[in-house]
Amino acid sequence: MKDLSIIAPLYNEEECVRFLYEAIVKVVDPLQLDHEILFVDDGSKDGTFRVARELAERDKRLRVIRFRRNFGQTPAMAAGFDLARGKILVTMDGDLQNDPEDIPRFMVKIGEGFDIVCGWREKRQDKLVTRKIPSVIANWLIGKVTRVPIRDNGCSLKAYRREVIQKIPLYSEMHRFIPAMASIAGSRVAQIPVRHHARKYGKSKYGLSRIYKVLLDLLMIKTVVSFSSRPMLWFGSMASLAAIGSLLPLAYSIVVVERTEGVSIVVPIGVAMLLGALSIFLLFAGAIGELVYKTGNLKMHTLAGLRASFTGFETLPKEE
Amino acid sequence: MEPTIELSAIVPVTGRYDDVAELYGLYKKGLEDTGKSYEIIYVVDGEYPEVMDVLKRLVAEGERVKIIKLARWFGEATALTIGIQHSSGNILLTLPAYQQVEASEIPRLVERLRDCDMVIARRWPRKDSILNRIQSGVFHMLLNPVSEFKFHDIGCGVRVFKNLVAKEINIYGDQHRFLPILAHKYGFRVLEVDAAQSKMDIPSRIYSPGIYVRRILDIFSIFFLVKFTKKPLRFFGILGSSVFTAGFLILLYLLYTKLFQGVALGDRPILLLGTLLIVLGVQVFAIGLLGEIIIFTHAKDIKEYTIDQVIN
Repeated sequence: MKDLSIIAPLYNEEECVRFLYEAIVKVVDPLQLDHEILFVDDGSKDGTFRVARELAERDKRLRVIRFRRNFGQTPAMAAGFDLARGKILVTMDGDLQNDPEDIPRFMVKIGEGFDIVCGWREKRQDKLVTRKIPSVIANWLIGKVTRVPIRDNGCSLKAYRREVIQKIPLYSEMHRFIPAMASIAGSRVAQIPVRHHARKYGKSKYGLSRIYKVLLDLLMIKTVVSFSSRPMLWFGSMASLAAIGSLLPLAYSIVVVERTEGVSIVVPIGVAMLLGALSIFLLFAGAIGELVYKTGNLKMHTLAGLRASFTGFETLPKEE
Repeated sequence: MEPTIELSAIVPVTGRYDDVAELYGLYKKGLEDTGKSYEIIYVVDGEYPEVMDVLKRLVAEGERVKIIKLARWFGEATALTIGIQHSSGNILLTLPAYQQVEASEIPRLVERLRDCDMVIARRWPRKDSILNRIQSGVFHMLLNPVSEFKFHDIGCGVRVFKNLVAKEINIYGDQHRFLPILAHKYGFRVLEVDAAQSKMDIPSRIYSPGIYVRRILDIFSIFFLVKFTKKPLRFFGILGSSVFTAGFLILLYLLYTKLFQGVALGDRPILLLGTLLIVLGVQVFAIGLLGEIIIFTHAKDIKEYTIDQVIN
């Protein structure tokens, strides 16, 4: 078991790989830790893998994982976590926008007893309209929905204690929600400001098109962290709403229509029946949800058991 | 001491089959021409007494055929999976129990595996009837937009692939047809190679209506497997909220006519449509949320990547 693994997903970063490697080595070597660097080549189409392989041939502490094709950032990080041998895992962007110089400060925070340390980009060097503003809104929304105020969920520079990160499910684009999920599960999360550099090489791989995805992902994270352990409660409350909705037109048709000549009863009764059917459907969906949770192999309490003492949200420092 | 087997040919017998002995002879010839050590595995999917009789006779005559008989009908994908489990070659070759591609093409197809992970035969030039070609054309027209790869003949059962492809991919139900699509999704290099069509494959085929319905459902399921496996809410959420919004707009319009034009709500059947859409929207959305719960609680079994190689 090593002390530290540094994980960087790479996707078409041919020009960056060498600089990234050198920058990391320059910072990590003086720390005198038994460390490794993991480059995850996410199916790059340029020479990323060739350059990384050349570097790895000279330095055994550099490990290169090559995917069969492009799978995305979350799977790349998941692969890094799965293969890492370190007790502390640090993730960072492969495009040199994060500064490895910040890594020692992350180690200090972990040493203070935090399970996850998130960076937030203090002076973010990105386009205002397409990157920064959507990001501020998304972070605010994620904070509201999960009730865990993480300043910058999109910052890749983070440090994790191995036992914590390996219990957290990672799929789709979950990496954005790791801190929030971990915090809900009782892990202690710290946030520290990090440097951020403008992109020198290559092109940004994000655009505005992901807004609707973030919105749906928010709903998803709300569902899984708040309701997946008690689906009946939640589907049941929706079902009661629908039931009330069906009683209203029913009452209307009985009280009003019965006493008035020439008004059709069909339509309000129809509405009542539809909403009644919805109510029953939702009840059954809740029952299926219970079944799914019962048979699933991930329970919220196993996540919560990551820490013997559940410390809740107050461990989050408001300001650094 | 048995020589190590390089190539395992798997012939699933399920439903349609041609003269077993004749086809065996053809396949055997084709396999011998590859110059590799090989084995032939017949997986008999349920009760096919005629086929079993012929196969037993072949074994009695000293032919080296492995026969696996399943207790009942499980479907071609299961038959293939079981065949693959019992194979020992590094290269796997699936062959249909009926003539699709000239058996003499086998060596050429196996040869092409050199620079990819999976070779699928494409019957080309097509000699069969217009009807068959139209059916196949329509199917691929629907399939290709969801498959992320331009296939021309996914219905051809002749496929050569490396053992590791089968190890990474689990198939079930009718998914054997889509093995190349899944292989491509998992990052394997798939190659379509033209192969001469067998003369026996030429007559027109009209299937029962149920088969056509199943093919459409297949496309639907592959659509999910390829695009939305881990994000059900992306699909159901968008669908559900669009339907919900449509219903909501209808109700808004009704409210407007009621308040400002004094049209009685009770007389308007469109109120039913609006409510129906809202109900449907909520249901679709709820299914998406259920899907998310399923994925989340089973996330430990999900591995979303395949690794080509690891250095150090």
